Amino acid sequence: MNGVLAVYRKEMLTYFRSPIAYFVVAVYLIGTGYFFTYNVFLTGTATMTETFRNMSILLVTLLPIVSMRLFSAEYSARTIELLMTLPLKAWEIVIGKFLGALTILLLMTLGTMVNLIPLYLYGNPETTTIFAGYFGFFLLGMACLAVGQLFSALTQNQIVAALITVSVLLGFWFIGHLQNFQASPVLRGLLGYLSFSQHFSAFIQGLVRSEGVTFYLVVCGIALSLNASYLQWRR
Amino acid sequence: MSAAISLESVSKRYGPRTIIHDVSFSVEKGEIVGFLGPNGAGKTTTMRMIAGFTAATSGTVRVAGFDMATENEEAARRIGYLPEHPPLYDTLDVSDYLKFVAKVKGVARNAVRADLDRVISACRLEAVVSSEIYKLSKGYRQRVGLAQALLGKPEVLLLDEPTAGLDPGQIQETREVIRAFGAEHAVLLSTHILPEVTLICRRVAIINQGRLLAIDSPAGLQRASEQTNRVTLMATGPAEAVRSALAELDGVQDVVVNETAGGAGQLAIDCRTDAREGIECEIARVVAGRWSLHRLQREQPTLENIFLRYIGGEQR
Repeated sequence: MNGVLAVYRKEMLTYFRSPIAYFVVAVYLIGTGYFFTYNVFLTGTATMTETFRNMSILLVTLLPIVSMRLFSAEYSARTIELLMTLPLKAWEIVIGKFLGALTILLLMTLGTMVNLIPLYLYGNPETTTIFAGYFGFFLLGMACLAVGQLFSALTQNQIVAALITVSVLLGFWFIGHLQNFQASPVLRGLLGYLSFSQHFSAFIQGLVRSEGVTFYLVVCGIALSLNASYLQWRR
Repeated sequence: MSAAISLESVSKRYGPRTIIHDVSFSVEKGEIVGFLGPNGAGKTTTMRMIAGFTAATSGTVRVAGFDMATENEEAARRIGYLPEHPPLYDTLDVSDYLKFVAKVKGVARNAVRADLDRVISACRLEAVVSSEIYKLSKGYRQRVGLAQALLGKPEVLLLDEPTAGLDPGQIQETREVIRAFGAEHAVLLSTHILPEVTLICRRVAIINQGRLLAIDSPAGLQRASEQTNRVTLMATGPAEAVRSALAELDGVQDVVVNETAGGAGQLAIDCRTDAREGIECEIARVVAGRWSLHRLQREQPTLENIFLRYIGGEQR
């Protein structure tokens, strides 16, 4: 556990001494602010549903920039040689780094909550729906970061890591659309289940279903354990 | 009490290529062993296997008695490792970086400050403690890397070319740090700088093309290569008579006599001898007794010669 904390602390120091974290958080908040203004003030409805939809696609495209450096930068600076020879288990490195990235996600999430102030001041929104939406939003972000971290461990080039991650995440985002081309109900079900966006849609409509929660947590679990095994195997 | 580092017929293969062939040796506590070989000989790979960064394909690597294949983490607590490229986080301060390493190495919270101070003064980093690492010169980067390895007083110190990139003054200081540390701990340092090895190492391992060619004290390696003992002299006299007189001497294996360009019977003589002490005095007596001797010199094989001979032998 000590190892996880030390890695986490190191990650946080690194994130905030490079402009990337500030940049991503800033772009994200500006984008969300725009969507919020557009969806709420122009339509005059006090719900976050549409804003959540826009926020999620922005999240999926921006998070790979947060995750790309997690391992790629360690490879290119050769600091991986230090990490792997210190008394750290592979999972401690993986979890420490993941928690670091989650902190950035948390900042992004908390930042968007500024929008809730005018929503509650001038409207009468449904608190449970908003809560469910934020819960789903955070779960989605976790899954994206875990996938991004896995791809970051596979290449020493940060740009390559980000591009692969964006492609894969967008692939899983839109995979549900393939349902329309499938006749077999099994395939349709499978495609729907794999879709990042369909699970998310349930959350923003106020539905916290165990199926959706499990889906994102399982994606995290698979990506992170593959990540740890890959580090072990690399020896 | 087992050796601090021990390798038993260790090999490393990457696909069809064998990088390390059946290497065995050990390093005891309180001993500095130099790991000598040309670039690409397998020094770094061997270091990485001992440090636990890569696993051996076959054979056993043990550090402080722990098998690197199965008890990796226990062993890692006892290893300080400076890789070939100092593994530094450029955006961190020197002190944040060292604190990170100290914490991971399990240095107790209340001992971190003292341990940091110890390595900072040993590596002369006082002036840069709060600088960001990317601003440091090459010499400082190398020393921050060394400081990191010294944290937590590891039983085993692995240094891959620790003096690379340092200026002569810094090299001197770094050697002193290593020498002091090596008095109580086991140190394995790789280098291709020969004098470094003679200065601080008790034993030298010579490696080339992934094979361990020899491991002995610098003096032992010199004794072992007696045929490179040479005595050269300048004398005046009849070439043939001088040659046969010298060739009769016990311990002289081969004599080459050349007339020098100066003429007037001046000879440049080159004798190959065995390693016996005082053989040069007997040669001097023989020559000076009958003819005139101008100069005589005994050449010991330098580590350089030994090194080249081993490597040359390997390539043939």
